[in-house]
Amino acid sequence: MKTLIIVPAYNEELNIEKTISDIKNNTNYDYIIINDCSKDNTKEVCLKNRYHVLSLPVNYGLTSGIQLGMKYAYQNGYDIAIQFDGDGQHQAKYLKDLVKEIKEENVNIAIGSRFIEEKKPFSMRMLGSRFISLAIRLTTFKKITDPTSGMRAYDRKAIEAFVADASLTPEPDTLVYMLKKNMKIKEVQVEMKEREFGESYLSPLKSVKYMANMFFSIFLIRNLTIRKKEGR
Amino acid sequence: MSITLRVILIVCSIISCILCIKKIKQAKLKVENAIVWMLGSFLLIFMSIFLGVVEWCATGLGFEAPVNFVFVIIIAFLLIEVYLNNLKITELNEKIKDLAHHIAINEYKINNEKEKKDE
Repeated sequence: MKTLIIVPAYNEELNIEKTISDIKNNTNYDYIIINDCSKDNTKEVCLKNRYHVLSLPVNYGLTSGIQLGMKYAYQNGYDIAIQFDGDGQHQAKYLKDLVKEIKEENVNIAIGSRFIEEKKPFSMRMLGSRFISLAIRLTTFKKITDPTSGMRAYDRKAIEAFVADASLTPEPDTLVYMLKKNMKIKEVQVEMKEREFGESYLSPLKSVKYMANMFFSIFLIRNLTIRKKEGR
Repeated sequence: MSITLRVILIVCSIISCILCIKKIKQAKLKVENAIVWMLGSFLLIFMSIFLGVVEWCATGLGFEAPVNFVFVIIIAFLLIEVYLNNLKITELNEKIKDLAHHIAINEYKINNEKEKKDE
């Protein structure tokens, strides 16, 4: 099965080399970096190292980056696309576990979760994560322990859904949509590191906005997705 | 409705009509978009001149004063316009995003071919 790792990167000149060598050392999958019009030297670093990189001419955010990666995966006939952060938080050694789920267990989406075996710590961030988990559980009756995880593997069916519907984002509400479309989602225990360089994009105001968006989308939009009948 | 308000409405409508026509001639406004504003202006002029119609509608719908009916019409018109604009912005946003994606993929292909030639 052809597997592609999509690495969205925005201002990651300090992390990207480490991320790509991690991918190269621990997996034999193809990768593509999506440079979302970084203001620093991310593009130059990528070109210097002859990495595979798609450079967007304007900054359009994470969603657009993942959508571009999905388009690329679709056009080049990949069977599995993995979303993998370029900021050094994710570890490539866990990717084969995600791929294994798709290959052998026939799931459509495999999520790298931090909290299957471990308990969620009590922080503001994890409080948000708990609320989103609860919202997903209320709408789909499925338990997703780490809905905000950015390490996800999608099979061909999910890739096609991404290409066909521009409203799908790499966020938890899309999981609700996929579940409503009768796709199977499974979580795999992984470990994530704290980021070493650069800043996370979540400020308090943005977090509130993010949560509002997620709840609105999960309850009022994705929840009303028409459920396809089995076997169709 | 007072004479003053009627005169103001008529004058503003005529000015907006003239502005629309001027901008169309300068190719800064498309005819399709201008038509909505022109129709809005004509509606205002109509309501200013034929006060009887406005009064009849206002009493029929239970408005306390005919002028309130005119305001409601204007607000509804503006809300619809804002909504349509919002749809348009979203559509344009998607188109620009598709273009950006297209550019990125093409640039990648061109770079790859260049590297192949160099080798």
